[in-house]
Amino acid sequence: MLRPFRVLEPSTAGEAAAELGRLGERAKVYAGGAELLLLLRHKLVQADYLVNIKRIGALDKITWDGAILRIGATVTHHRLEKEPLVQKYLPMFAHAESQVANLRVRNQGTLGGNLCFNDPHSDPGPALLVYEASVKLAGASEERLTTLDDFFVDMYATTLRPDEVLTEVQVPPLPAGFSGAYARVHRFQRPTVAVAAAVKIENGRLDNVRLAVGCVGPKPQRLQELEAKIRGISLKDAQRVISQSGPYFMKLLRPVDDLLGSADYKLYMTRTLLARALEEAPNGDRGAKSAKGD
Amino acid sequence: MIVNGQSWNGQIPVQETLLEFLRNRLGLTGTKRSCESEICGACTVLVESQAVSSCNYLAYEAHGKSVLSIEGLSVGDQLDPLQEAFIRNMGFQCGFCTPGQLMMAKALLLDNPSPTREQIVEGMNGNICRCGAYPAITASILEVAGLTAKK
Repeated sequence: MLRPFRVLEPSTAGEAAAELGRLGERAKVYAGGAELLLLLRHKLVQADYLVNIKRIGALDKITWDGAILRIGATVTHHRLEKEPLVQKYLPMFAHAESQVANLRVRNQGTLGGNLCFNDPHSDPGPALLVYEASVKLAGASEERLTTLDDFFVDMYATTLRPDEVLTEVQVPPLPAGFSGAYARVHRFQRPTVAVAAAVKIENGRLDNVRLAVGCVGPKPQRLQELEAKIRGISLKDAQRVISQSGPYFMKLLRPVDDLLGSADYKLYMTRTLLARALEEAPNGDRGAKSAKGD
Repeated sequence: MIVNGQSWNGQIPVQETLLEFLRNRLGLTGTKRSCESEICGACTVLVESQAVSSCNYLAYEAHGKSVLSIEGLSVGDQLDPLQEAFIRNMGFQCGFCTPGQLMMAKALLLDNPSPTREQIVEGMNGNICRCGAYPAITASILEVAGLTAKK
């Protein structure tokens, strides 16, 4: 049984933000509910009010403006895996979305909710970091845009203020010549380690590369230092660099032991999956074959 | 709300889950409560033909929508082809997860009437059977997909 609460159904993001500002800690944003209702049931979160943002019509749209794919906060994971615009412009992201938990969670869970929870064991974050996505945050009277990289702060923590609502995720496709891959290992329907890679190969060398890793530590991370190190070298050499970068991963990713695996295992799989994703990425955008768990 | 083809009108507290509503208010106990974490699939029902975990879905959200639970899968005495296939193939052992398995399979076939074995395995990955009836469950769904394809 869930503890009783009241549901507010504002019709604009500004109104939602105003309600959140007025009610403070007593209110939580309710989108799909995939994570929020679980946390309420397990009494990890308390709320006297849920601010349901699903009635805000503008938030469930996916639009292409010629340069950026704009994804409304209440678009579900299932819509993202199936949506032709996402498959066309962000195929690696569409693949990552198809891997989220199970069909029931994908039918219910929203992209906005997923990013705002910033659960460390999650698929969309690392993929979107490689696309260099941004998020639009609406307050009662003004909006701001921030990169996803800056948005993620720590485990379950983002720069979203208590009186703001995430309204839109803006994702540019990979630049010309790039192709991407997403690879993961998983248990209990959550990724233990997830990596996303995008590469541009020229004359057998990595002309350009973007890498991101999720689930190992508190938040998804771009690997800029490593990217700089492997730019301009061959795939084989890049894989060698990755296999020797244990201390770098240790320092950057802050691996933790958790239910899904030990810190050592996650670091090991980070190197394995990065090498695999680099190998798969040039062959297209569908994403690397994922290892199967239960 | 239309539940298994019958309309229901009334007030529901907003915090009541669809699982509680079906089991406690309507006495439809075929939908099972198990993990309460959207992992096991025992509570799967269809809302507007989409599979949801009824344990984690607020019943008031189904206002004006159609809900299908295991009790509504057969038409009178006529079992759904999926139910018949599960019986023929022994697609269960203890039976606890079976209503959820059947509802998820129903959702899959509504979305794609002729899935491959791989698509079935992928689509059913969120429904756990502790007896391990997976091969027979997959065979049952494949059989129904084949029947549909022939028609």
